[in-house]
Amino acid sequence: MPGTDDMKIKIRLNVNGFPYETEVEPRRTLLELLREDFELTGTKEGCGLGECGTCTVLLDGRPIKSCITLAVQANGREVTTIEGLEKPDGTLHPIQQAFIDHGAIQCGFCTPGMVLTAKALLDENPRPTEIEVRRAIAGNLCRCTGYQKIVEAILATAEKEGGAG
Amino acid sequence: MTIDDFSIVGKRYPRIDAQDKVRGRTPYLDDLKFPGMLYGKVLRSPYPHARILRIDTSRAEKLLGVRAVATVEDTPKNKFGSYRSGVRDELIFALDKVRYVGDEVAAVAAIDQEIAREALGLIQVDYEELPAVFSMDEAMRSDAPRIHEEADRNIASHTITVRGNPEQGFEEADLVLEDRFETPLQIHGYLEPVGCIAAWDSAGKLTIWAPSQNPSWSRIIFSEALNVPMGRLRVVQTFIGGAFGGKLEQKLYLVAAILAKKARKPVKMVNARNEEFQTSMPRVPMTIHLKMGIKKDGALTAKEHRIFADNGAYTKYASAVVNLGTYRVDGLYRLKNIRNENYLIYTNKLPTSAFRGFGNPQITFAMESMLDQLAEGIGMDPLEIRLRNAAQPGDITAHGFKYTSCGLKDCLKQVAEAIEWKSKRNRRGSRRGVGVSATSHVCGNRSFFPLFDGATAYVRIDEGGKVKVITGEVEVGQGLLTAYATIVAEELGVSTSEVTVEAPDTDIAPFGLGTWGDRGTFIGGGAVKLAATDARKQLLDRAAEMLEADVSDLECREGSIFVKGSPEKNLPFAEVASTAVYTKGGATILGKGTFIPNSEIADQTRYGNISGTYAFGAQAAEVEVDEETGEVRLVSVVAAHDVGRALNRTTTEAQIEGATVQGIGYALFEEVEFEDGVMLNPGFLNYRVPTALDIPPITSLLVETIDPAGPFGAKGVAEPAMTPTAPAIANAIYNAVGIRVKSLPITPEKVLEGLQKKKA
Repeated sequence: MPGTDDMKIKIRLNVNGFPYETEVEPRRTLLELLREDFELTGTKEGCGLGECGTCTVLLDGRPIKSCITLAVQANGREVTTIEGLEKPDGTLHPIQQAFIDHGAIQCGFCTPGMVLTAKALLDENPRPTEIEVRRAIAGNLCRCTGYQKIVEAILATAEKEGGAG
Repeated sequence: MTIDDFSIVGKRYPRIDAQDKVRGRTPYLDDLKFPGMLYGKVLRSPYPHARILRIDTSRAEKLLGVRAVATVEDTPKNKFGSYRSGVRDELIFALDKVRYVGDEVAAVAAIDQEIAREALGLIQVDYEELPAVFSMDEAMRSDAPRIHEEADRNIASHTITVRGNPEQGFEEADLVLEDRFETPLQIHGYLEPVGCIAAWDSAGKLTIWAPSQNPSWSRIIFSEALNVPMGRLRVVQTFIGGAFGGKLEQKLYLVAAILAKKARKPVKMVNARNEEFQTSMPRVPMTIHLKMGIKKDGALTAKEHRIFADNGAYTKYASAVVNLGTYRVDGLYRLKNIRNENYLIYTNKLPTSAFRGFGNPQITFAMESMLDQLAEGIGMDPLEIRLRNAAQPGDITAHGFKYTSCGLKDCLKQVAEAIEWKSKRNRRGSRRGVGVSATSHVCGNRSFFPLFDGATAYVRIDEGGKVKVITGEVEVGQGLLTAYATIVAEELGVSTSEVTVEAPDTDIAPFGLGTWGDRGTFIGGGAVKLAATDARKQLLDRAAEMLEADVSDLECREGSIFVKGSPEKNLPFAEVASTAVYTKGGATILGKGTFIPNSEIADQTRYGNISGTYAFGAQAAEVEVDEETGEVRLVSVVAAHDVGRALNRTTTEAQIEGATVQGIGYALFEEVEFEDGVMLNPGFLNYRVPTALDIPPITSLLVETIDPAGPFGAKGVAEPAMTPTAPAIANAIYNAVGIRVKSLPITPEKVLEGLQKKKA
């Protein structure tokens, strides 16, 4: 915004394995930083109020809602967005593959946030029960799938990978 | 043909758009940026009904970074409306008065969103508040304030349809019941907010990029509203993050077009979530007075309904919802004597419109609830009463629908078996119960768009052997691209990974009616299949020369073209394609297909076979009711749907599951609430859409009737799969604790109230 440059704060963070150094206004959200400044548009804005979960990213491995997280809060930390989940050779993370194989994707708008929430769950709890899966993704809304195939995909990943994800 | 004869049809395989979506690479509207692009925001009315005395935009115009401010003075003043309604009651911005909280008053384009928002606050609007009406009862009083001058008693439309002899039907009945049912205003809740980018080129041509469900059709309305000839208007569909009927023509696109013209720059606009709630075009709330007659043997003798439908402040598709949507249910059972009366009423609330099911979930809730009441009244099993009256193949309904394939009875029988109807229905004192409901739906609607019915597709095979499908039909998340790729891949004997399907661009695609009315697979897919057959013929003509064989001896499979019976004589698909292109002056193979279903425009009385085929389904729910708290716990839902043929079992089940969950939300949670015309819960925190924790196991059963006209026998399923859910749940609650809740959503408060009344 014109005339407010002097208010900017310098931050350093790591996004998907790459170091970034940038200046942000204190009120800039992490979502804005990722989508607008870094052009990582895989992270979606569904409500801007932390209520729908489409903006979920991982901050030091934990799922957070980037629309209600300030960019400065990511200073010195590691951010993983959906673009950072596949391997450099393009191989999908097992959860991503399971979402495809189980038909857990429809319009796709909730998918990035949903996949990242699922990854964080399996990292922490490699063999979750169905209710644990449902609890973990309860903050990520999906209006298309009815969740059943998403839950199946996450449980199948746990079954197959046993926590290797 | 059995499923074994197909290479992929009827099997399980991934969606063709899944890879990009799971990697976060799919570009939705808000991910797009153009050089010089501005950001637009709308100033909306804070009053439900008020006269606009003065608008002063001068301070907003002077704000640093503002490039354009627009009001009604910048727009053509010709009223427009949705194509079907015939009612033209809207302008792009309010003129003289506002009619609901959210009505568009002015808009700003600025170099960033924050400046645009700040500028909205600098626009000075002087209002004089007017008396407003929020309920339909108030609105219809003779002394009620008029929302539109031309609408006496605020009645936007009133229709009466009579078939057979309802009076005689009721006389013949052994039992006649009358009751009143109410359905709520349900929000689509798609996660991608509505947005668009509008840009004018130097020749005066406007392009709108938008997640539009109906790009070709939208263009007609935009052309009218903007006074721009159709040839100077292009609509490009961007990937859609959910729609469910909510992404038909949006006024936001017109606002963006006006701003872009004034600023001479591309303008992007995206709704905030509270704007989505307050100004999108949600499900039409209805008050339904229903009367039905039945004989002791279970034969239905007559049905009469009087519906009051809440239109909100402007007429979008609510007139079609109430008049074309609510009479489908009359063909679910063999009803001959019918009287339907529909009122569409203006109120000072947001305009309502199309939402998955299109009137069917409303009326089906009422009728399927009453069927259980009738069954109890004559001492018959609710399943039996449905089987006794169910529509069958070959039926011509009271409204002239001609049923070809119809698996309704099978659907009912299958859900009953899967839910263990016989053993669970008669449990006493368990607080658990089971309920059943059925539904029927169209697959396209000849009456909805007067110019034509049908679809056209092109299948292009390039010199690399890659296949591209070009249609005007729209992927909204349901899996249409995959369905089309499947049809083409099956026809050409290639893998779906060789096939891409283009999103419609009105400059390139054939005129497509778009995604609504469950028409995408049946009608659009029909066109794609014919186009693929045409492309295949062109390819085989060339292959026949190359292989020195007769065309009739050739077959396409596994990416090659074989001479039947001589598998050693074959050519790769891509080689034939490149030869075809290089020997014909570079002409890529272009197959064309047009499918026109056997449908007709209904007559003045709405009689006629409006759809080329019809979809059917039934669902059964098991619930457990907590008599202390009134809470309803869903134990399971079983959904059986006559899909004609499932092109892809996984995506077909996925449609059923997702629709059923919207039906669960409709049944138990979802309702927008107002106080003096102001929405009280315009966000996901207080308007509760189902989460993963609210959902029981859903079992999808695919009933395949192999429709004679559908591509490989397929029909639609996305819409009907949400219709029977709420009545099945309501009926299960009655079976569990003996109370009948006649208004949706069935909240714990309503259940407790019912339980208390029952005790008293």
